[in-house]
Amino acid sequence: MSNFDMIAQLFVSGLAVGSIYALVALGYVLVYVSVNVVNFAQGDFAMIAAYFMVTLVVGLHVPWLIALIIGILLIGIFGFVFQLGTFQPLKNRKRAFLPIMISTVGGSIFLEHLFLLVYGPYPQKLPGLFAVDTINIAGVHVYPQYILILVVTIIMVALLMWFFEKTMIGRQMQATAQDPSTARLMGIRVTLMTTLTWMISASLGGLAGILIAPVFMVTTTMGSLIALKAFAASIVGGFSSVKGAIIGGISIGLIETFGAAYISGAYRDAFAFVILVLFLIFKPYGLFGEKVSQKV
Amino acid sequence: MKKFIKQAGAVLTIGALLAGVTGCGSQAAPANGSTAKSSGSGSSASSGGEIKIGLMADMTGPAALSGKEKLNGAQLAVDEINAAGGINGKKLKLVTEDDQGTNQGGVASFQKLVSDPSIVAVVGSIRSTIVQATDTYVKKTQIPVMIGGTNPGLTHAGDKWVFRARPNDNYSSKALASYITQDLKGKKVAILHDTDAFGSAGGKLLDQDLKQMGATVVSDQGYTTATKDYTAYLENIKKSGADVLGTYMTNSEDAAQMIRQLRQLGLNIKVAGSPSIIDQVTIKLAKQQLEGVYGVADFVTNGNDAAKKFTAAYKAKYGNNPDNYSSYPYDAINILANAMKKVGTDPNKLRQAILDTQHYQGAEGEYNFDKNGDGLHSYTVVEIKGGKVVPIKTVSFTN
Repeated sequence: MSNFDMIAQLFVSGLAVGSIYALVALGYVLVYVSVNVVNFAQGDFAMIAAYFMVTLVVGLHVPWLIALIIGILLIGIFGFVFQLGTFQPLKNRKRAFLPIMISTVGGSIFLEHLFLLVYGPYPQKLPGLFAVDTINIAGVHVYPQYILILVVTIIMVALLMWFFEKTMIGRQMQATAQDPSTARLMGIRVTLMTTLTWMISASLGGLAGILIAPVFMVTTTMGSLIALKAFAASIVGGFSSVKGAIIGGISIGLIETFGAAYISGAYRDAFAFVILVLFLIFKPYGLFGEKVSQKV
Repeated sequence: MKKFIKQAGAVLTIGALLAGVTGCGSQAAPANGSTAKSSGSGSSASSGGEIKIGLMADMTGPAALSGKEKLNGAQLAVDEINAAGGINGKKLKLVTEDDQGTNQGGVASFQKLVSDPSIVAVVGSIRSTIVQATDTYVKKTQIPVMIGGTNPGLTHAGDKWVFRARPNDNYSSKALASYITQDLKGKKVAILHDTDAFGSAGGKLLDQDLKQMGATVVSDQGYTTATKDYTAYLENIKKSGADVLGTYMTNSEDAAQMIRQLRQLGLNIKVAGSPSIIDQVTIKLAKQQLEGVYGVADFVTNGNDAAKKFTAAYKAKYGNNPDNYSSYPYDAINILANAMKKVGTDPNKLRQAILDTQHYQGAEGEYNFDKNGDGLHSYTVVEIKGGKVVPIKTVSFTN
């Protein structure tokens, strides 16, 4: 049954890595849907939150779960500051899409080097929530951290769905996303809503970074690596659908893990991009892209 | 959605334009470097006071840790030489450029260094892939470049200006293969290597040498630099039933990440690998998991008298133990300084003086330069015990 063990092992690890891509992809999608720009610093939110976490847990000895909550709040505030610098000054320009996108690319480069300067080049280790590294379930070694990632991702997605569909603020945010001028006429505070979107999106990226940090090491480049895959996941999912981002992220996690094991390890990173190119050619709206085509 | 695709297209176009601009920039520079260089030796001789040596180091980027070690090693050599009176009365000066650990960064930093005509020699990269990328420009510039990249081809590519201050992978793979087959009694061996110039060449050599020495290679996998999740590779190794894993991993961070996951997945296998798996950075990141791991090293802190002296001076100055990132620039600058003391800074004479360097005791071992520019021909097999690098035996090769 060692073959089964191997498949189970790969499945668990692909699913967990895929969840991380999905969380970051969600951040892309939220910002894209609500303000129609792509934030290329999305992955850096993951990196920054992981560093916050290192400072809190390793430096200040804050208990893991409390540090997690503080970290998410901090990165949310950070998202607020970030959009103040990169998005707000440019948003009223004609054809603001490109300038804002370039501005976020600049922000991303700035942040990576800032954190290199502050934390130095040595990778940091963040201990996990659990004392043991792996637990052995019938020959399959599972990182408890991977289970945590899966559980938290499911809870987060459910929370998001509930927030957007059932709460007043969530509905106002959706309305703003679909038609800002009408929303403004209806008395919705559009700037507040877009700001909130940025903060939620930063928190999602941050959550991904915090969850994966104990398994990977914390480095200034960890975010950009995740971001590339998450970007591919967003395209696969249609770039405008929460469902799409989740399915896209998890598919890419699974495909690259199984691809590396059974096809070629050397081309592991290529799989995500082959899928990306195939989608751009044959299914440019992604799996769930109707909403955007309506909007445009 | 059409709008989105249009916008994405525009982004790609801008990206391509940007790449084009930097491409043009890099083609313009070497002309500068080479014209200026012809008058270079004259001007530096007349100016007096100081002699400049360039250093390419990855100060930022994915392997920024090694850049710092490299700079420290080079600076130590320069300080020691200057404290002992410099070179025929002139002070040595180190000029550092960040190569960002990338090929583009490497080319840019090399060009920036040699655009200064008073730079007489450059200490190049430890990354084979960067050495490969800069080679065209090294040929044009015609000043000695001391490299640390260990891909054997680098000194066999017809560029007479490249000198290696470390032993090349022909020797590391042979040392590794002989230790795996003879001492560890490995019959079925798995290979894991980076897919960059260093890792792929090393992996290939190890594969050949293992087969020649009678072992079976049951799994041979490549991964791209900065891979984080090694589950897929480790599962294949497990499935292959290998008794020893031989690695050619380029970055210490990757080696640490891999070995942590290998232990977490409960793989019961002996590991022996290229220098990165037993270097100080890897030990710092995965001390417990590295227990009992073997590796070949060109530099061992207490390997010989010169290494002991270097280690003591390094530790006194920077507070931590040196590794091969700092030892090869240290040796390279000492070799350059000795050569310059004899023949001055004329590039052709300097080149000959480096080739004439024989029986020089450096921190990395005994330098005997051959006609290809390879200075070292031996490796030491070491084991990690209690978080320390313990030398087991030195494997030397002639030729």
